[in-house]
Amino acid sequence: MRLRKIVLAGALLTLVAAGPAAALEVGQKAPDFTLAGVGGKQVKLADMLGKGPIVIYTFIQAFTGT
Amino acid sequence: MSADHVATLDAFVKQNPLKQGFASDFRRTMLPAYDAMVTDEKSPIYRYAKRAYFVIDSKGVVRYVKVMDNPLDLLQPEDLLKALKDSGAS
Repeated sequence: MRLRKIVLAGALLTLVAAGPAAALEVGQKAPDFTLAGVGGKQVKLADMLGKGPIVIYTFIQAFTGT
Repeated sequence: MSADHVATLDAFVKQNPLKQGFASDFRRTMLPAYDAMVTDEKSPIYRYAKRAYFVIDSKGVVRYVKVMDNPLDLLQPEDLLKALKDSGAS
């Protein structure tokens, strides 16, 4: 029982310490990513660099108007 | 980019031919890193992309960030083009 309480407290502390993701700010290095693109293509930020500015747009859900 | 499955985006692009590239962050790896994911503590499966715009220059430095509080708000194309120009990204 005591061990269970300790584990729960530890998990709670970890959650509190993690907090919300830090906002990305101008001047920072953009985090790299590799995602599945349409048509079976892979979309990797590192592969797109050096060819001019990149505009990334994130939207909520396809087919919903958002 | 969205948290949709890539098959969903494939179908979306098939119905809506667009010039832009589309990518899926179904595993939610990119969206949190860009602080572009909205969650709900009451539901572990509620993890959607926020509506957000980022300009990254050719060296990989973030030059512009706009994360919308209201997902129904949109930047007008001319505003995004101005932001791109003003960011100085090349």
